Amino acid sequence: MDDFRLQSGGRPSDGGLPARRAVMRWAWRLFRREWRQQFLILALITVAVAATVLGSTVAVNDPPPKDAGFGTAQYSISFDPYGSKAQTVVTKVEHDGTVQLIENETFSIPGTINTYQLRSQAAHGPYGGPMLSLVSGHFPSSANEVAVTSGVASAFRLSIGKTWDVGGLDRHVVGIVQNPQSLLDAFALVVPGQVANPSEVTALFDVPRNDLRSIDKVLQANVPSSTVSSPASVAASNPLNPETISLAALVLGMLLIALVSIGGFTVLAQRRMRSIGMLESIGATDRHVRLVVSANGTVVGVVGSILGFIIGFAGWLLYRPSFEQSAHHIVGMFALPWLVVLIAMVLAIVAAYFASSRPARAVTKVPIVHALSGRPAPPRQIHRSIVPGIVFLVAAFLLLGYSGSTGGGDGNGGAPELLLGLVLLMPGLILLAPFFLSLTERVSRRAPIASRLALRDLARYRARSGSALSAISIGVLISVIVILASASRFSNVFDYAGPNLASNQIALHTGFPPQGVTIVHRNSKGQLVRVRHHKTETATPAQLSSGAEQIAKGLGGHLVALESPNAQLNGTQGGRSWSGQIYVATPQLLRAFGISASEINPKALVLTSRPGLAGVSGLSMDFGTSKQPVGQGGPAGGIKSPLIQEVSALPAGTSAPNTVITEYAMKKFHISESLSDWLVLGNQSFTAAQISSAQLTAASQQLQVESRNDIPSGSTIINWATLFGILIALGVLAMSVGLVRSETSGELRTLAATGASSYTRRTLTAVTAGALGFLGALLGVVGGYVAMIGWLRSNSLNGGISALANVPFGDLMLILFGMPAIAAAVGWLLASREPAVLGRQPIE
Amino acid sequence: MSMLELRKISKSYGQGANEVDALTDIDLSVERGSLVAIMGPSGSGKSTLLTIAGSLEEPTSGDVVIDGVRLSGMSRNDKARLRRRSIGYVFQDFNLLAGLTAVENVSLPLELDGVSLKKARSKGMEALERLGLGDRATNYPDQLSGGERQRVAIARAVVGERSLLLADEPSGALDSLNGEAVMRMILSACHGGVAAVVVTHDAKLASWADRVVFLRDGKAVDETLPPPTPEELLAPDVPNPA
Amino acid sequence: MSIRHSLLALLSEGPKYGFQLRQEFEASTGEIWPLNVGQVYTTLQRLERDGLASSDDVEDVERQKNYRITELGSVELSRWLRTPPDLSEPPRDELVIKVLVASRLPDVDVYEVIQVHRRYIVQLMQQWTHLKEDESHFDLAFALAVDAELFRLDAVVRWLDAADGRLHRAALEPAPEDHVALPSIRRRTGAHR
Repeated sequence: MDDFRLQSGGRPSDGGLPARRAVMRWAWRLFRREWRQQFLILALITVAVAATVLGSTVAVNDPPPKDAGFGTAQYSISFDPYGSKAQTVVTKVEHDGTVQLIENETFSIPGTINTYQLRSQAAHGPYGGPMLSLVSGHFPSSANEVAVTSGVASAFRLSIGKTWDVGGLDRHVVGIVQNPQSLLDAFALVVPGQVANPSEVTALFDVPRNDLRSIDKVLQANVPSSTVSSPASVAASNPLNPETISLAALVLGMLLIALVSIGGFTVLAQRRMRSIGMLESIGATDRHVRLVVSANGTVVGVVGSILGFIIGFAGWLLYRPSFEQSAHHIVGMFALPWLVVLIAMVLAIVAAYFASSRPARAVTKVPIVHALSGRPAPPRQIHRSIVPGIVFLVAAFLLLGYSGSTGGGDGNGGAPELLLGLVLLMPGLILLAPFFLSLTERVSRRAPIASRLALRDLARYRARSGSALSAISIGVLISVIVILASASRFSNVFDYAGPNLASNQIALHTGFPPQGVTIVHRNSKGQLVRVRHHKTETATPAQLSSGAEQIAKGLGGHLVALESPNAQLNGTQGGRSWSGQIYVATPQLLRAFGISASEINPKALVLTSRPGLAGVSGLSMDFGTSKQPVGQGGPAGGIKSPLIQEVSALPAGTSAPNTVITEYAMKKFHISESLSDWLVLGNQSFTAAQISSAQLTAASQQLQVESRNDIPSGSTIINWATLFGILIALGVLAMSVGLVRSETSGELRTLAATGASSYTRRTLTAVTAGALGFLGALLGVVGGYVAMIGWLRSNSLNGGISALANVPFGDLMLILFGMPAIAAAVGWLLASREPAVLGRQPIE
Repeated sequence: MSMLELRKISKSYGQGANEVDALTDIDLSVERGSLVAIMGPSGSGKSTLLTIAGSLEEPTSGDVVIDGVRLSGMSRNDKARLRRRSIGYVFQDFNLLAGLTAVENVSLPLELDGVSLKKARSKGMEALERLGLGDRATNYPDQLSGGERQRVAIARAVVGERSLLLADEPSGALDSLNGEAVMRMILSACHGGVAAVVVTHDAKLASWADRVVFLRDGKAVDETLPPPTPEELLAPDVPNPA
Repeated sequence: MSIRHSLLALLSEGPKYGFQLRQEFEASTGEIWPLNVGQVYTTLQRLERDGLASSDDVEDVERQKNYRITELGSVELSRWLRTPPDLSEPPRDELVIKVLVASRLPDVDVYEVIQVHRRYIVQLMQQWTHLKEDESHFDLAFALAVDAELFRLDAVVRWLDAADGRLHRAALEPAPEDHVALPSIRRRTGAHR
């Protein structure tokens, strides 16, 4: 030993820096030589980081800025109206610190329900800076000058240099301004003191915390309806911080990537087995070998995260102009959530590092002689035991159950348990994956040779296929949870969440502009008249009807009057009580939807399109009298379990008459009705121009227009979730099937040499993809059901387990069978290519 | 002192009824400057003997002593260091790391041992030039012919002060002239003080050795007598093939 | 090895004296086949007798005879170079017979016999290889001749290896018609010697 040490000449025993550098150099060259093999992992990381950069930037910047409405001030108080008592408060605040007052008077824009504000705000006030910026021209500096936002300018056809009669004075338009924090803010800016009748005054101020209490006291004493607000108090009312959401999505995404990458790096490490064996024979230590593989992984992570950042940032720069328009506020070019971006990049590198370090450890455990011979190492027996996976699933089940039962059973408490439960589901699935794979071996025994080979390889090389299976099942799990959760929420027939109005439907409701808005309209002589709108004005039913007819005519549609009965349905199911407007099944309404009288059970009291409503119990119908409307002072009468008939021809929309009371019921129980809603049915979809012109007409007729909106319905969410699950699973399959089968390219050579046709090759790939897809879907669905049953079991408000009765079977079947079928078909199509070189093994 | 000494080396694989004896009680001693060939049919255990001698595999029993240091009980890291400093391998067909140039391949053991990049590079260059490959130093392995690759492998095996060269069918994939060139290089390394063990089933290669050990079913059954002196060659009992 | 034709080949380069022929013969065969002067002159006389070579009739005893190739000699040399040696019949190889005999004697370890021969041949090969080890006086003819010898010996070693393997396998699963193998070879090759 001694002379051996003497030879070392004081060099570090593990070779120190020069050794690490040499090994890293080799890893870098390997990456450069074989980046194509790593392209899938690289692309995965790049896309994930790019999506995170873009997505989180959009998510963080989409809501109004935290300081919107505050400028640089710490606090604000809004007074509505602004009177002498409010002035007392302002005086008190001025005593303690600096105050900036912003005065507003709201005007309506003629012929529309839109309003603008005549605003006085010091252009260079102490706090208002971020709320006001100049687009062109200059700020008003005297009483006869005004600057307007571009919205106001276009509504009144104004431009710089023109004169405009506003606020009782002809003023020169001297500038175009905007509120960078809210581009929707339409206002005309005048110098302070020019707003004669401010309807709302906002005081922005900054005071030490201690003074706040005394200010609040004065405020409570004088204007109890107002409160002191701060950006923090506003933010607190919005618990779903987009940053938190994007971080959670990011962590989940990286987990998926790491899982897929483990398979990739395992294959890569196996392919390099001989080289690594040789490196060891030259005298590389285990550390050096691990360094090679994980340095390669880290390089992939670094390159991927840098590429991803560049692509994501470039995407943001391209998207920013249109994003500002849709988000309605100005967003800085570098207004990225840097912390999230940094974490995303670091996580990407960490995920790639961990994905590669696991195979790296495995490589050093292979005997050098085996590695050198290039003999495939005997497949490692991963614990086939089902127990650890089950333990995790049970733990998740119990935690979710606990979470569901906390917070008074409303499902809003127990957030940590909910989160932990969902997190525990993932290792549960990952641990169960090998067991599911071992099942394939049993299935394969009687299969034809190509299928048998594919299935047996899946079972034998579980280290590789297991990670792919876990990734697929986690993707499916997420979508199954969303499907089940939205199904349990939206499938409730009492608390109905159907689709929106159809695009050829418009609902008209009686409605008025909000109080306190000054309405300017043209009188019979064509002059503009200002009316301060203080109390509700009522139009007669006849006036409203003619207004509705006018709108329907303008739209070229068919008008259906929706009569509201003096009755309502009551009952709770699955913790949710009845919601939704019911109407009277007038002959006109039935005719409009093509329902003939013969279709209707003469004894039916209620007709509905809500699926499943006819069969439920626990519903009662209450009705009032003309003196005592239902809902005010209790019902005058009611019956339990009215006879309900399901009529699928009735519209399904939540705002449409999906549930109606028959005329038979109206007569039998002497229910009165009133008219306040109409439905316009068009022959085809209404255009945006048609809808906005209808809105204009409606505003002058004291009607409100409701058209199809963008709020997703339950089925939309479920469809998107299904698509998401299928896409994730297919994406993972696309990457991992290639990896799983690339290892056996040598086998393909042998198969081709023994005369296997392209049919065999296709079958191999198709069966591999299909089997992996099906197992992943199965595992994900099982996990999703475990989660939802666990959560709903003790959660009475969300309906308990019975809420799962109406799961969208079709979507689950699509995931369970459709997705594997697609995967198998794509595998079949893409596997046609003959391996390029049959005889020669490429030099390693 | 012997550079390599194997004492009563036995190796068996498997367990119980499946136990197979690959090597039984092998004794072998190789001096510095000498070339020993190990001949035997496939499956006679000659490759196993080489991997055990090179610390890549543990014997079931017996001792391996390299340059006076016993391998048994040595940690994996110490063995790796021993390989970096004392042992050079040449395999049949797969010897070079594809991502590294010829000179980087040759200087790799030195770099792994902590020798600075510049010094390692110049020593690697030196070794390549000695084998007539100076002009191929910056080529990647896939740009070299089979014979050149094998020569680079030998350069790597002897670079620095490494003094035990272990070769497993070093010319297996080469034609006989390239194979002869490889053996010449190994022999000249021996003349420079390296102890070499060549495992082969080819008598033409084995005949380059000073001593040929015959292996059969994991046992050393025979070996050639010490090489004849030139005088003996001229002696009348040399068979006259004419 | 035909000395006759080798001398004819040397003469085809130009007229030569007997002693010179001997020297050149040894040089061209890498000095591995020693030739005595007597052999040279006997062969030359025979060549002259057969009309393949001629010599100047010099009576002077001091001077050596100068030999040249005749036209007939050139034809004969050309024919000989292109005539394949007779390899169609197996030579009566002593080693083959020894191994065959050893394999039939119950008290003899045939593997040991094989190994004795193998070692001997490898030792021979070592000697030949050592001859070409020194490249400093490289000689193409010598190298070709040594190679020939090495390949010949190598073939013998390979045959010994194959015989070893075959006997080994046969011992593991004895074939019933083992004892008729030898006559059948004879019959098929038609060897009568």
